[in-house]
Amino acid sequence: MRKKSSMKAPSRRAMSSRHRLVAAGTAALLLACGATAASASTGSAARSKTVTLKFWNAYNDVTETPVMNKIVIPRFEKENPGIKVEDVTLPYAGMEQKFIAASAAGNPPDLMRSDIAWMPQLASEGTLLKTSGKSWFAPLKSAALPGPLSTNYYRGSYYGLPDDTNTQVLFWNKADFAAAGLPGPPTTLSQLYHDAQVLTVPSKGQYGLGVDSTDIWNVGPYVWSSGGEFTNKALTKATGSMNGSVTSAALNTLVGLQKAGDIGSDFLGGAGAVGGETGFASGQYAMLYDGPWGVTTYETSNPKPSYGLAPLPKGPGGSISIVGGEDLAIARGGKHLTDTIKFVQFLSSPFAQIAMAKAGDMSVYKTDEAAEVKARPFLKVFAQQLLTAKARPVTQGYGALDSAFSADLQKVLAGQATLPDALSDAAQAGNAALEAGH
Amino acid sequence: MIPYALLAPALIVYALFSVYPIYRQCDISFYNWHIFPGESNPFVGFSNYAQIFRDPVIRTAALNTLLFLVVTVPIQMAIGLFSAAMLTDKLRGSALWRIVVYVPVVTSWVVVSYVFAYVFNASRGGLMNSLLSVFEGHPVQIDWLAHTWTGNAVIWLLSIWKGFGWSFIIFLAALDGVPRELVESARVDGASEPRVWRYVIIPSLRPAITFVTVLLVIGATTVFAQVYLLTLGGPFNSTQVLFSWAYQQAFTNFAFGYGAAIASLLAVVLFGFSFVEIKLLRQQEA
Repeated sequence: MRKKSSMKAPSRRAMSSRHRLVAAGTAALLLACGATAASASTGSAARSKTVTLKFWNAYNDVTETPVMNKIVIPRFEKENPGIKVEDVTLPYAGMEQKFIAASAAGNPPDLMRSDIAWMPQLASEGTLLKTSGKSWFAPLKSAALPGPLSTNYYRGSYYGLPDDTNTQVLFWNKADFAAAGLPGPPTTLSQLYHDAQVLTVPSKGQYGLGVDSTDIWNVGPYVWSSGGEFTNKALTKATGSMNGSVTSAALNTLVGLQKAGDIGSDFLGGAGAVGGETGFASGQYAMLYDGPWGVTTYETSNPKPSYGLAPLPKGPGGSISIVGGEDLAIARGGKHLTDTIKFVQFLSSPFAQIAMAKAGDMSVYKTDEAAEVKARPFLKVFAQQLLTAKARPVTQGYGALDSAFSADLQKVLAGQATLPDALSDAAQAGNAALEAGH
Repeated sequence: MIPYALLAPALIVYALFSVYPIYRQCDISFYNWHIFPGESNPFVGFSNYAQIFRDPVIRTAALNTLLFLVVTVPIQMAIGLFSAAMLTDKLRGSALWRIVVYVPVVTSWVVVSYVFAYVFNASRGGLMNSLLSVFEGHPVQIDWLAHTWTGNAVIWLLSIWKGFGWSFIIFLAALDGVPRELVESARVDGASEPRVWRYVIIPSLRPAITFVTVLLVIGATTVFAQVYLLTLGGPFNSTQVLFSWAYQQAFTNFAFGYGAAIASLLAVVLFGFSFVEIKLLRQQEA
């Protein structure tokens, strides 16, 4: 940054060329120097009789926070006198960076509800408590669903443990389908693409399909169901997969639908774009892949759409959705590990898991499935879809790989690159990201 | 001994807050570095530097940095010099005008960036869209910051608006130093105003021009805050500049080694660039 304000205007004599050179050279080095030092914070070392655990999360204020604050935490505090939990809800964006910075400064929260995609990065930075080999972890590990559990596995060990899971299924608008004369939701990918065209009615501002962004969370199910991949199995290379023929063909179809106006403005995004859930609620998007929170959102939306839920349409690769959810990231530098583990065990108990399932957070334990489906019957289709859902590449380079892929696909949608060029660039960036992760 | 003792406080501060971070940055650029204390940081040699040449976004970032430099530096200098020339005469209320011109320089980048983000907000409530709607007679909804060229243009506009007051102050001081007798005698000899400027005033201003050019080029090459605050490098990295990309590598992707490599390489390039620039401008002065 330029620090002009403190500079005095020099006279010709005052500024000899040597001085200027030295000043310029020094300024160049200073300005080009990235500040990497994190300020140290000692935090409070004093421990009173009552321990307060800091629990960072990005819970939804309307659906999740009330359940956590009014049902789960009070019950835990009642059962564990002397332990208080401070529920700190933060914006999702930047929470991962904040956790790493706080950990490096020696003052992390005791626990964070982390996006599953962040765990490899957090583990690789050394911020997480290794749970492998801990006696309290073993029973939870054997009871957890393998998909969500796999998101805690990094380089031969487990870090943290799964908290909740979710996946996407097909939401289809019954009124739009009836108006188009379609009998029911598509069951195959080719049928989905065909229906998207039939359901597009430009005069009504109606699009056949909403795809909420160009990232892997949104595009992944289409690619995987088509039989494509983003990386090789060993997670060492993106070239050949991300720009492979099957993935390219799947993306080419989506791009073609977008160019033809059959996919809504949410795909490219930007201001003026109608978000998937907003568009689906208003009937503007006739179909949308979405998670269980969609149901809780539409329960309170106005107007309420009349819709059905269905498994993702099958392609040559199957009906492959994406594993979402959150993990409990226990800070390695936390000051109250024993008490934190008590809270973590409580959050994993059927009481807490079922309570949160009512807010749309599916349990990660197979034994809770019947109870959660009983409490919220719509979760059944999500539970079935989870059986074949795929986790995002579990690597510390995932964030960089995903943002490169997403940015390059955006370029194609904006008409600023051809698909083969964009995918080749994205694969190259993906290689670098994966290389950094090994 | 006394001179050293007197220099010591400044040297200590310089060593601690300038020399050490520069050394540490270069050091980190050779490792796969982790921020958590005690973690192993494997030595990777020049591989972070090699990655710079394989990174497609670097090309865009370098081009945007260069464009930023080419667009904003001459315009800031031209407006600064023009304003200084206008306000150096006994213009009524010139003190007030000088304050008005200089105020943006001393305001915070964060504050003015957010003000510009509001002015160029994509919604119809954005000031620029509202103004255009009035002139056009129908609602205008341009997503200024979400397109490559409009996003870059807003960044340039903000930087010129905020920055030209600095060149103005330097030129104002330098113009006061131009020998009046030279200017007067040129006018008496019948030289037209453009010729007076070309042959008398501008040559007298060369040291100031050198100073302003070097500092503005350094400032432009290290542009960061306005990009980070206005577009975050988007859409699809098309408004990234070198430092916003280095920052993103370090603090979003946690590739500290790679981020440090970009910053270190840029420091070397910038140092060489400034050196050559000063040499060339000095030759012209001679």
